[in-house]
Amino acid sequence: MKISINLLPPELTAQKKKSVKFIKIQFIGISIVLVMIFLSSLTLALRILQNRNISLYQARVAGAEQRVSDLKNTQASLTLLKNRLQVIDQYLGVASKQTSIYQLVDKLLPQSAVVSSISVDQTGGVTFVAVLPDNSALESLVTNLTDTEENKEKFSQVTIESLNRDKQGLYRTSLRIKAI
Amino acid sequence: MKKEIIKFYLEYKLYIFPAVVALSSLFLIIFAIYPQTAKLIDGQKSASQLAGKSEFLETKVQALESVDGEDLARKVRFVLNALPAEKDFANVLALLQQLTAESGFSVSSIALGNSGTKMGNSDSFDVRMEIRGSKVFLQGLLSNLENSPRLIRVKVIDISSANQQGADIALSLGVLYSGLPKDFGAADSPLPELTSADEGLIAALEKINTTTPTSFAQSPRGKANPFE
Repeated sequence: MKISINLLPPELTAQKKKSVKFIKIQFIGISIVLVMIFLSSLTLALRILQNRNISLYQARVAGAEQRVSDLKNTQASLTLLKNRLQVIDQYLGVASKQTSIYQLVDKLLPQSAVVSSISVDQTGGVTFVAVLPDNSALESLVTNLTDTEENKEKFSQVTIESLNRDKQGLYRTSLRIKAI
Repeated sequence: MKKEIIKFYLEYKLYIFPAVVALSSLFLIIFAIYPQTAKLIDGQKSASQLAGKSEFLETKVQALESVDGEDLARKVRFVLNALPAEKDFANVLALLQQLTAESGFSVSSIALGNSGTKMGNSDSFDVRMEIRGSKVFLQGLLSNLENSPRLIRVKVIDISSANQQGADIALSLGVLYSGLPKDFGAADSPLPELTSADEGLIAALEKINTTTPTSFAQSPRGKANPFE
């Protein structure tokens, strides 16, 4: 049987324990401080690198802006070209309302009709005076003008302002068409 | 005194050392790590913005350098013929006379009317034209007018005393013009791209310009280079 007896005074044991604990704290503390110093240095270094990159980009941008400025006439011409084309596209080859209404009325008139006057105003409204040889031509004219398929739904109202029949049996009519 | 401080430290080192470490770490965090990290994040945004801008400008420069100057000038000439910056009455009168004659009409009178009328985003001035000819050719004339090298819109059609010998026709036309844009785009503004539809339109303008007499259709009046 082995018997061990600690003859050291208890203060010494406590001091030793305290010393070991302090070494641990010292190790952890120094590690923390070193990590902090490392992080500070790292962020600083990254910032320096980043500033260098930013300066590089700024120089590149300034250079490119200068080159764009040198080519400003080309850019102005392109801008003008695009700007003009947008307007021209709305009008070139697109019949105005007045022209398309006139073309439609001309198409809807029976061949036997003789138009003595026709007027298409700024709103697209049409007034015309026509002489028709017979009743069927008159009927055909009115039917064509009022049929939504024939008039392509471009007319909202067709008004017969006057209708006369002369001795020869010719119909003279004055019509007003309101465009949509 | 010194001995007292050392004695005090030795007695409380278990508390003093961690406190010093904590304070140092806090100091480093507050005065170095946090501000630098914040600046780094901001700087990253600026750097990526600058990189994007640089790339955009480089692409723009390449696009501008690849533009054929002569071809562009030719296209600008066509669009300025169609929609000039000024009214250019002389060319309009010549064009109207030419188109009416080509369409089989004789001009009785041409009067310049109201100017400064807005038509969409453009300005226009009125022209009242009295012509004589067969009504049969009117559709052709209207089509010629609205497909002419200069943008012209028919506003009023008035046909009177139509008979077999011909008809008296009064046309009120709107002739378009538009001042030059004030802003031709900053260095960092995107470059306008010509679509295939735009190219088609330019081709149509070119065709119209080549099929109409050269006396009035070719060059707009005013400065040769409007950007100088």
